[in-house]
Amino acid sequence: MTVHDLSRRLLLKGSTFLFASTVMPKIAFAQAPGGRLVVAADSEPKNLNPAIVASNGVFFISSKIVEPLAEASYDGPEGLAPRLAVSWEGSDDGLFATFWLREGVTWHDGQPFTSADVAFSALQVWKPLQNLGRLVFANLEAVDTPDEHTAIFRFSKPTPFQLIRNALPAVTAVIPKHVFADETDIATSPKNNQLIGTGPFKFAEYRPGEYYRLVRNEDYWGEGLPKLDEIIYRVLPDRAAAAGALEAEEIQLAAFSQVPLSDLARISKVDGIVVYTKGYEALTYQLVVEINHRRKELADLKVRQAIAHAIDKDFVVNTIFLGYATASTGIVPKNAPEFYDPSVPTYDFNVETANALLDEAGYSRDANGTRFSLKLLPAPYFSETRQFGDYLRQALAKIGIDAQIVNNDSAAHQKAVYTDHDFDLAVAPPVFRGDPAISTTILVRSGIPAGVPFSNQGGFQNGKLDALIDKANTTVDTAERTELFKQFQRLVAETLPLINVAEWGFVTVARSNVKNVSNNPRWAVSNWADTEV
Amino acid sequence: MKTVSRLIRSPEGLAGLILLALPIAAAIFANVLFPADPLSIAGPALVPPFSDPAFPLGTDRLGRDVLAGLVHGARASLAVGLAAALVALAIGSLVGTVAGLAGGLADEVLMRVVEAFQIVPGLLLALAFVSVLGASLPVVVLAIALGAWTGPARLARAEVLSIRERDYVASARVIGMHPAEIAFREVLPNALPPVLALSSVIVAGAVLIEAALSFLGLGDPNTVTWGAMIAEGRNVLRSAPYLSIIPGIGLVITVLGVYFFAEGLNNALAVRGIRS
Repeated sequence: MTVHDLSRRLLLKGSTFLFASTVMPKIAFAQAPGGRLVVAADSEPKNLNPAIVASNGVFFISSKIVEPLAEASYDGPEGLAPRLAVSWEGSDDGLFATFWLREGVTWHDGQPFTSADVAFSALQVWKPLQNLGRLVFANLEAVDTPDEHTAIFRFSKPTPFQLIRNALPAVTAVIPKHVFADETDIATSPKNNQLIGTGPFKFAEYRPGEYYRLVRNEDYWGEGLPKLDEIIYRVLPDRAAAAGALEAEEIQLAAFSQVPLSDLARISKVDGIVVYTKGYEALTYQLVVEINHRRKELADLKVRQAIAHAIDKDFVVNTIFLGYATASTGIVPKNAPEFYDPSVPTYDFNVETANALLDEAGYSRDANGTRFSLKLLPAPYFSETRQFGDYLRQALAKIGIDAQIVNNDSAAHQKAVYTDHDFDLAVAPPVFRGDPAISTTILVRSGIPAGVPFSNQGGFQNGKLDALIDKANTTVDTAERTELFKQFQRLVAETLPLINVAEWGFVTVARSNVKNVSNNPRWAVSNWADTEV
Repeated sequence: MKTVSRLIRSPEGLAGLILLALPIAAAIFANVLFPADPLSIAGPALVPPFSDPAFPLGTDRLGRDVLAGLVHGARASLAVGLAAALVALAIGSLVGTVAGLAGGLADEVLMRVVEAFQIVPGLLLALAFVSVLGASLPVVVLAIALGAWTGPARLARAEVLSIRERDYVASARVIGMHPAEIAFREVLPNALPPVLALSSVIVAGAVLIEAALSFLGLGDPNTVTWGAMIAEGRNVLRSAPYLSIIPGIGLVITVLGVYFFAEGLNNALAVRGIRS
């Protein structure tokens, strides 16, 4: 490469960045009424296809392009609002689930959307490839398409429709068969990053390290929607930069607590900026202490109970989360009222009880006041998980357990905890996704192969608990299944395979001219068709 | 002794000594002043400085005493700085002496190795080393030394090249001294003073690299360091800037002190060199 090339490239890059940072927002305000929304993005997913990677980082961008069968809703029946499906029904034996699809929907390339696309997505993508779909659709055998707008899912074993229904928003992003059918390897296809969907916005452009640009889908099925002309995701990996960018009106919205919690009190007083704490109810994150039961000490229930008693949840909620969280009682969070059982055994903050339990377990203090040492790995994903790691080390010191913190980056942390099991305690932020069977039971079920992230890799094994989980997975009756999950919560609280500390939703900060923010329980990862600037 | 008095009489040397006295005293008396773990949660969170006599410099996001952190942080910074400089000097002067004395192929090979290390910036080398081996105090020391030993090596080699032509080395050879004995009893002691003058620069650089590593989350998370304190304060920079500024001042004082001290020492040694 010559010097000339290099400097021209740098210059071009630099000028695009300048363009992105200064010119764009000004155009945005001049372009009313459609307008452009500039949003902060903190990550650039490697694979943007939500049908394959069901994670919030991917949904944040792709949910505007690719739609699920149904979306979560505050006031809709069963907490759902129809998207690509208009209605649905499960058979009494749990072997069939029927979806009636929306008519008159076209893909961004003009092809009609039909039941064949749903069948293709379910059988070729959700079931074999998707992180969550693998569990939800484990027994999916076939999808019948009697006509273009009906899809009947056939299961080999009874599959509770309650689970399917609760999973609809997260696992059923429909991708076009005519685009992906010829791909030899869908998971690594370049088309995953040039998405074609049915959503209110079309994928237009991605510049690594700079921005994603989505443009209005003129042929969207929703009448008068979308209201925006364009959405720009500006890549701002430095979380601390989002607040400044909002104040300077370089961006108009920062979701997923990109503005640090500690900055909210200040920024909420700034004119023209609104802080939203709603809109994440269906994306509850849980602060969890993962335990490696292979450690002799930690295999002892009394030791785990002592650790649970040593954690001051009020301190965690008020000092680490500054009140933007709730103390957990068990493995199912409070804002899943369908399943939540408040009557599980709880462990109040009591250092004396904790010390007594450890004495009882036979781990007495040595000359330095230490009973035993542990290796503690806080997940690096959030500043709160790291801070909780610092707090936990101090809390454990009070009961004579010397915890040594090991910091890793994301990749090394996942490998250490979920593949190599090289930890004693770990701090993790798993997500509760509307039904315990989607991503919660996997945290305690035994027999999960090493390497599966956010699963039970601590070697915990309880036959009764496994049996309960398996039974709930094939129990079709909703009331009976809910009752099984209440028993499940109680058993988890009694046996403590992990310790649930707190649960939190995120915070959205937006300029006050952005309208219809946080109007559904998964707002940040919904389609934003009605959002206005 | 004359060097010391000359050092104190030079304005740089005196300023350096005074500035350095603070972190050194803090490092020595850290356990007396603050016997508890400086990372323990001592009070309410985010107490501003000079508002509560129990926490003269306030508390951080979790309620840890900033003054205790500052004092114990001095210990970590100086310990890492001195240890890294020591390791770098030991490796550097050893390699330099061997290369200079042996000459020929050994010299070529050793100097190419030195150059290979020199083309990689010290911070990058340290970053790579720590991320592979995991963060702990000895690893951090070694990582910093890895980027700092080349300077002493080159300097020692240059000195040795001139010393080995001197008459007393020739006579040592004539009376049949073993080459290793010549190297370490006759040559190295005489080559060392200019290399030692380099040491304070290495200490200052090491303190900064250690802070940078901790700032990036690659320090030892179980000991308090200034870099880690600054990194934690960064999240609340807008509402509680003192959390980053206070350890920052600690860094400035230490590094400035070391540089002044180095300057003074250099001058004092140079005067001695001219007279001899």
